[in-house]
Amino acid sequence: MSAIVSIKNLRKQFGSFDALAGVNLQINEGEVVCIVGPSGSGKSTLIRCINQLEDFDDSSEVKIAGIDITQDETARADVGMVFQSFNLFPHMTIRENITLAPLRVKQMSEQQANAIADDLMQKVGIEAQAEKYPSQLSGGQQQRVAIARALAMRPRVMLFDEPTSALDPEMVGEVLDVMRDLARSGVTMLVVTHEMGFARQVADRVIFMDEGKIVEAGKPAQIFDGPAHQRTRDFVNAVLQH
Amino acid sequence: MTRLSFITSVCLIGLLTSEATRAADLTVGANIGNVPWEFQDENGDYVGFEIDLVNQIGDRLGMNVEIINIPFSGLFSAVQSGRIDIALSSITVTERRLESVAFVQPYYDSAQSLTVDSDSNISSLADLQGRVVAVDTGSTGDMWITENNARYGIGEIRRFEGLVPAMLDVQSGRVDGYISDIPGLEYFIRDKPYFKVVQRIETGERYSMVLAEGNPLADQVNDVLTELKRSGFVAELHRSWFGSEPLASSSTVSVVDRPRSTSVGGRDAGFAQTFLNWGVLLNSMPLLLAGLRVTLLLGATSIACGLALGLFLAMVRLYGVRPAGVASKMYIDIFRSIPILVLLIVVYYAPPFAGIQLSAFAAAAVALTLVSGAYTAEIFRAGIEAIPSGQFEASHALGLNYRHTMLDVILPQAIRVVIPPLTNNCINVIKDTALASVVAMPDLLKQANQAQALEANPTPLIVAALIYLALLWPLVILVGRLEKRFRQEYSQ
Repeated sequence: MSAIVSIKNLRKQFGSFDALAGVNLQINEGEVVCIVGPSGSGKSTLIRCINQLEDFDDSSEVKIAGIDITQDETARADVGMVFQSFNLFPHMTIRENITLAPLRVKQMSEQQANAIADDLMQKVGIEAQAEKYPSQLSGGQQQRVAIARALAMRPRVMLFDEPTSALDPEMVGEVLDVMRDLARSGVTMLVVTHEMGFARQVADRVIFMDEGKIVEAGKPAQIFDGPAHQRTRDFVNAVLQH
Repeated sequence: MTRLSFITSVCLIGLLTSEATRAADLTVGANIGNVPWEFQDENGDYVGFEIDLVNQIGDRLGMNVEIINIPFSGLFSAVQSGRIDIALSSITVTERRLESVAFVQPYYDSAQSLTVDSDSNISSLADLQGRVVAVDTGSTGDMWITENNARYGIGEIRRFEGLVPAMLDVQSGRVDGYISDIPGLEYFIRDKPYFKVVQRIETGERYSMVLAEGNPLADQVNDVLTELKRSGFVAELHRSWFGSEPLASSSTVSVVDRPRSTSVGGRDAGFAQTFLNWGVLLNSMPLLLAGLRVTLLLGATSIACGLALGLFLAMVRLYGVRPAGVASKMYIDIFRSIPILVLLIVVYYAPPFAGIQLSAFAAAAVALTLVSGAYTAEIFRAGIEAIPSGQFEASHALGLNYRHTMLDVILPQAIRVVIPPLTNNCINVIKDTALASVVAMPDLLKQANQAQALEANPTPLIVAALIYLALLWPLVILVGRLEKRFRQEYSQ
């Protein structure tokens, strides 16, 4: 198996605070990795660094498909990102949201881009909303559009930054269903989430982070049922007792 | 004393004192700076031939005289609206003016003159073919050359508000000559060898004072003038201000009849006849339409250039390297603080001394653009900053480059936010074009001023106000609608 994402000694400071205190992580092709942990543990910062939305220490190294992202801007095109707050473009229709990057970045023809958009909209179940604007959709529908928009660039890896945290509870399921389908179809995924059920069921590997470090990583059963570290145990107990 | 009665007393005292300061019972308007008729001496006191004359008239009538400074083209409306009792400013008696206002008997026989730069090769009106000549808005010089231009083929008649700005442009070479009343010119250039009067233009014109039509004071003032001529007072004024003896046959020495309109009855001085006079309206319409054209052209040019400049400044301020960003912020702050009128005068009068000639249009467009650009930059900045950072992040994450991020994602959203304030800015720019009349731009206000001085009737100004209103009211309504629509879109 080849590593799509390779992170070595990732460090980042916000002032004197160590947001990331030396993270090492390899993600293989087709793997689904869920990152869990308390807030402020550096989960979101980690995946934002992979997409260069945050800069990081010079001594750190982040490679996508073997390419150092600080050396080659185009490496970013291989990474898709889904945000907690959707960040759809409000002045464009759903179709335009999805086709914008293929048209502008990949210089596809309208026809090609539309074909991709049609396919993806069907995949995430929003084909009926194609000509609507984001403000006319529910939160769950908007997040599914955001997923389709990221997928349209055919990324090698998809990053999800707490994709269901901003949703009303009744809409969480429809977004997780789409993500589950993606995982099954072999998309490489790195998911920051508080949905422990999803992590247990879908993840190949679960990573527990605290204080800017990876405390423990392993199969879902290992992390949730028999964590090795006390901090992991405390977290899992606190979350699962809800 | 209760609080209320205290306030009442303060108000009463205020009323009483303001009553006391208003003791002047003869309010006189004059275009101060019109040498040697009415101007300020080193102490800032108003002096001059006509100032001495009107003060003497006030003394004889037992009235306190208060002089207020009003530009020439505003004098007639000031008389008609009752703001002043008498207008002075070496005003020539003309038939058209007699139809709207009353004159007392004239006291000076004048002529026009052509003044040029001493180094100029122009020696008479005949040399002015295709050249630019300055006049005072709505003055007899303006009327004379406009009527006689077929004979001289002058390239452009440019209209100024007074002698000093016109002479500055003669000196800078922006205009080739200046046609104006000869006594003022001779007095003005007596210590300025770099100007010369090259031609006296006989127009048979006579100066007098203007009062509102039907004002009974006119007869009293006329009678005093008769006495003052008989006693030799007016002739003495001539000697002291011009250093020469007036001709015995001139109106300075001999008593003459009060000039009356030859048309039957003249114009009715009723409110509607004065402020919305159809005859005047029809006469002045060509002037006003020409002015409207200039106003629209200047407004459109300044708005378009200001938009481009503002967008550039906003981009530099938000995304430029630090020194450029700071420079942009300084520019924006400075040009939002400068009164546009001051900037206009600087842009118009300063560059000629550095050898750069800007036309009045170019100077006005530059000044309006500089200021509009600063305001537009702030509007764009606010618009862009109103876009959530998630929009930038989503664009970056999709791999869009800077240009596409701005063009496809950020600016289209920012434009919705900025359209209402931008439209407001357009309204302001169009209103500010009226200031360009100070640099002899024949814009709508300038043309209205000229027309009202020619007709001695304020109707053209009223019509100009209506035109501005017709132009800008729809824009104001549009801003309101757009703001409402965008508010609704965002609250969905």
